[in-house]
Amino acid sequence: MSTVPAAVAPVAPNTLLARFPRALTILVTASAVLAPLALILYQSFLTAPFFDASKKVGLGAYRFVFADPDFWQAFLNSFTLAVGMTLIAVPLGALLAFVMERTDLPWKRVLEPMILVPSFVSPMVLSFGYVVAAGPVGFYSVWAQDLIGTAPWGIYSIPAMAVIAGLTHVPNVYVYATSALKSLGSDVEEAARTAGASPFRVAATVSLPLIAPALLFSAVLVFFLGFELFGLPLVLGDPEGHLVLSTYLYKLTNKLGVPSYHLMAAVAICIVAVTFPLVLLQRRLLQNARRFATIKGKAGRMKALPLGRWKPLAMALLLAWLFLAVIVPVSGIALRAFVTNWGIGVSLLDAFTLDNFRAVFEEPTHTRAIVNTILIGTIGGAIAVACYTAIGFATHRRNDGWSRFVDYLVLVPRAVPGLLAGLAFLWVFLFVPLLAPLRATLFSMWLAYTVVWLAYGMRLISTSLFQVSTELEEAARTIGASRGRISREITLPLIRHGLLGSWLLVFMIFEREYSTGVYLLAPGNEVIGAELVSLWQGGAIDVVAALSLVNIVLVAIGLAIALRFGVRLRD
Amino acid sequence: MAELTVDDLHLRYGDTPILNGVALTLERGQVVSLLGPSGSGKTTLLRAVAGLETPYQGTIRVGDQVVFDGARALDVPAERRNLGLVFQSYALWPHKTIFDNVAYGLKLRGHSAADIKTSVTRALEQLSLGHLGQRYPHQLSGCQQQRVALARALVYNPPVILLDEPLSNLDAKLREEARAWLRELIVRLQLSALCVTHDQAEAMAMSDRILLLNGGRIEQQGTPREMYGNPSTLFVADFMGSNNELKGDIVEARDGVATLNGDGFSVTGAARSGAAPGVPGVAMIRVERVRIADAPGPNRIAAKLVTSMYIGDRFEHLFEVGKGRLRAYGDSALEAREAFHVELPRESLWIFRAGS
Amino acid sequence: MLKHLAGLGAALVAASALAQGVPAGYPADYAKVLDAAKKEGKVVIYSALDTKAAQPLIRDFESAFPGIKVEYNDMNSTEMYNRFIAESASGQGGADVMWSSAMDLQVKLVDEGKAMAYASPEASKLPSWAVYKGEAWGTTYEPAVFIYNKRLVAADEVPHDHAAFAKLLESKTAKFKGKVNTYDIEKSGVGFMFVVQDTKYFQGMKDLEKAFGKAEYKVFSSTGNMLEKVSSGEHLLGYNVLGSYALVRAKKDPSLGVVLPKDFTLVLSRVMFIAKQAKNPNAAKVWTDYILSQRGQKMIGGPVELFAVRSDVDAEYTAASLNKELGANAKPIPVSSEIVGYLDPKKRLDFISAWKSEIAAGAAGK
Repeated sequence: MSTVPAAVAPVAPNTLLARFPRALTILVTASAVLAPLALILYQSFLTAPFFDASKKVGLGAYRFVFADPDFWQAFLNSFTLAVGMTLIAVPLGALLAFVMERTDLPWKRVLEPMILVPSFVSPMVLSFGYVVAAGPVGFYSVWAQDLIGTAPWGIYSIPAMAVIAGLTHVPNVYVYATSALKSLGSDVEEAARTAGASPFRVAATVSLPLIAPALLFSAVLVFFLGFELFGLPLVLGDPEGHLVLSTYLYKLTNKLGVPSYHLMAAVAICIVAVTFPLVLLQRRLLQNARRFATIKGKAGRMKALPLGRWKPLAMALLLAWLFLAVIVPVSGIALRAFVTNWGIGVSLLDAFTLDNFRAVFEEPTHTRAIVNTILIGTIGGAIAVACYTAIGFATHRRNDGWSRFVDYLVLVPRAVPGLLAGLAFLWVFLFVPLLAPLRATLFSMWLAYTVVWLAYGMRLISTSLFQVSTELEEAARTIGASRGRISREITLPLIRHGLLGSWLLVFMIFEREYSTGVYLLAPGNEVIGAELVSLWQGGAIDVVAALSLVNIVLVAIGLAIALRFGVRLRD
Repeated sequence: MAELTVDDLHLRYGDTPILNGVALTLERGQVVSLLGPSGSGKTTLLRAVAGLETPYQGTIRVGDQVVFDGARALDVPAERRNLGLVFQSYALWPHKTIFDNVAYGLKLRGHSAADIKTSVTRALEQLSLGHLGQRYPHQLSGCQQQRVALARALVYNPPVILLDEPLSNLDAKLREEARAWLRELIVRLQLSALCVTHDQAEAMAMSDRILLLNGGRIEQQGTPREMYGNPSTLFVADFMGSNNELKGDIVEARDGVATLNGDGFSVTGAARSGAAPGVPGVAMIRVERVRIADAPGPNRIAAKLVTSMYIGDRFEHLFEVGKGRLRAYGDSALEAREAFHVELPRESLWIFRAGS
Repeated sequence: MLKHLAGLGAALVAASALAQGVPAGYPADYAKVLDAAKKEGKVVIYSALDTKAAQPLIRDFESAFPGIKVEYNDMNSTEMYNRFIAESASGQGGADVMWSSAMDLQVKLVDEGKAMAYASPEASKLPSWAVYKGEAWGTTYEPAVFIYNKRLVAADEVPHDHAAFAKLLESKTAKFKGKVNTYDIEKSGVGFMFVVQDTKYFQGMKDLEKAFGKAEYKVFSSTGNMLEKVSSGEHLLGYNVLGSYALVRAKKDPSLGVVLPKDFTLVLSRVMFIAKQAKNPNAAKVWTDYILSQRGQKMIGGPVELFAVRSDVDAEYTAASLNKELGANAKPIPVSSEIVGYLDPKKRLDFISAWKSEIAAGAAGK
């Protein structure tokens, strides 16, 4: 070796060409994110649709909205819901996480996927399920009526909506809480236990305080989601006229008889004014939570805390939540899908039918919707993950101004209500000549979905990227690999598994998405979620039930296939 | 011409200064260790040489090529510096085989497949890894992984290899074997190596020269013998070995000899940096130089035996002197006596100014 | 069921006879229109009638005019309007035919010049109120009805006119509290239109509004929801429900009862027009003529289960049969500019707030 002359370092062109992919990625991302938002902002300062010849610039839209008592009532309702569901979801989610993650509760492997069910199912579908199951003449209400003479619950009030929203958002908290609990060593808990504390006491005074950053982040996340709620208040709020911000916006579609895009845009900007700071706050808290987790360091021995005589209570709690949050609505839908009509005095056996499914499968728009939904979840999801990965690489481990710009850029679509984002994309596709022919294709739907869920997808990717030790990349650098080569040959193979997991999660998100497609819906790009909104508004309950069941089954199949292939839902 | 020259290097993280004017040269075939406590900046210095950290002032030259010059805003990226870096954690790519891990550097340099095969096979054999080419990193022991990391850094013949705490991940027993083996390999292959370590024994065993860093500056540099036997400051003396310390006041300092008066004793030894009469001082002596005498005398201190510990290869005796303690080694146990006389031989004793 | 089969069978027989040529009674140069239509190959329809209900119509049309494919898009009337104006503003094609129950929106579009003038050979057979400027046509005859739950509402309680409806809610408030529904006039264009017309014909409308308030009425934007609630028993009464849907459902659903109000019954007619910028104008003409023809109307009054507007059609549901029951009390909403007035934002909002304050007054017990 000593006589061989030193090899020459590999030539790495430091030219514009090498920087091109990064620049292009950032440019495309920026356009896709900012164009729709710019349109909405512009529209909010007009007096008529922006393509209407008679439009004028003015603050009329904002004046109208701020003077409308319905708007303020909707704002108050949104706020109440958000607070209510946070107060329910966070303690419950934390407690469930503690029980599942730190104790010796049996049947965990069966229970865990069930806990995550509400996050696979569209909120439209869930709310509809509650109506059919626990509404004034829902299946369970009627049975309760028969059995004990009364059905002492209501689902159409704001408190009831808060409870339902809280229960169904438990998985959001659960995921972050378990992740944080995983990194705790069990010695702190054992110390409390030997001092005489019951498992729940240990949870309340030791484990949960230690994961406070993660819980704080989940609380802000759930609160933020409260402002975004659309499907749930649409289905449960309408009967009693309870409006929230998103349904108030939706109502504006027809309040004046003709489309009031300027009013809708103004409301959307108001919503963004609330949600964008929340999104920024989330980002800050997530960084804290991450830092906290690494400080806590590697877990020590992880010994499960024995529940002992508390086991029945813990199990009861878990099963009660499962019943209320999962079984009630899903069984409601399943039942409704198989009957022609229902209510007081109707015998279910007599009403059994497959007609609802026939209505779905014989109708080209519905079958198209099913096929499109599968496509957008699988292929669309894969392409979306590829895009997120490309953007992730453009910002990974680079702390320059561009990275920070992209970091904040991806937060923007998250703050815009899906409804308006879809509408904005419709406008973009209508009025940008290049894109026009693609409007009625699945591409427009896919693009809207990918942009709306940009922040979520980026977070998934960056979680995977963070798990690749910096040193592995540095080692490649010192050996002579350019950044591009490192991304392709070192980082990418190492995050393969994480990418598969991300694909699965994006698949499920796309499958349950519904508000974004509402205005984008055109013959040819129907998807189940948006179809459900349209069908619900049109009152075709039978088809809604059957299609909802199809949606749930699709997601379940996708999930089963992925899990079978060893993809893990969480790290 | 030196293989590596670093001059007046300054580096900071945000507002915190890490390196405050470091300079070093590395000649061909030399092993230089960067030694220091944690936070002294030694790893940062190594990474700066590799191109993974960016200083704001100073120059770095590899051979005759300037890879960093703060004044000219010249900063050659790490991937173009053609150095070899062995990470503390080895950083082997888990998705590649051992062969592919080692071959990567040659692949980047455009060698033909046949060339790669020859070079990699040879590198693996030189490091006794010949049969492990098709295994994956997780299937290897720590020691083997370290050798793979070395092979990967060496296979493309970089002028300088940089090693970040190469032995700290190994068990204590293996460490002793490894440091001998590593030095032998470096010498045999006539490599130029810059090594970071926090263990002074390791540094002395492996290096031709040691640079002791403190607070981002080089406190002293020299051969191991110079560093150990001739520390220029209190810090260096303290860091390089196991010592006894006695505090007191310097009453005399003349012609390189100083006298320190302490609590019930007075000792004379070599005057070191800053030793001057009338200032507080510290007398320092290596533990192994302390002798136990029978009777009082010059540089002997009366002391009470606190305890004797048996460590296997020797005894360690602990004495109480006024408010301080002294340690001494011995072959056999000491019988209890009223008083012992602990001798600090004058030629082995250093007197420093306190705080130097 | 048998009647349906018979109707279908007759239509098929007729279809084969006509499959090749110009429909009977049409001008000879219609063949040119037909040829052009076949060359265009398809007609794109935006319609508020759901696809499932429209299936028989589409199938019949395609068998009558092979070579012209129907691209049928159902969406609610507001969506239709929004999409139409956005598409025409951006110069992008889209609908050839607009067919909506939002009569006012349709007329507005015609007034804005978005419709193509077409002298349909069938137009003369329609009642005069159903033809507008030769650019738009009313195609159906759908009454606004009351619905009730047969199991839970006693026979003597069932209201048969508007005054009785108000009186029922006033007197038996306890029973009907929270269990009466109607359209949300803020969300449903059809619902809004209905109550505006109600105000025209019913002097006691304010009392009815107060009664709604007292009975804590529930509002919906879709007929299906209203029918569902009343059928299941969650609600007991429904007001101004679109009769086509109600009557069809009542056939299958033993729980649902339907009342055609005796004092006056509003009748809605789905308005159709051909888009000026239609990409397939000839196919659109052929479709329009088909819908207005006896054959199309027979389908509408039969398998499609809406009401045919033409009086000279023999089918299960026709204007004629309805008029026989209602006589002079049938009040069809005219396809004309007079219904566009309330699309003015100020006027509309004033009406809505007046409505709301009456509701609130009723709820407060005034």
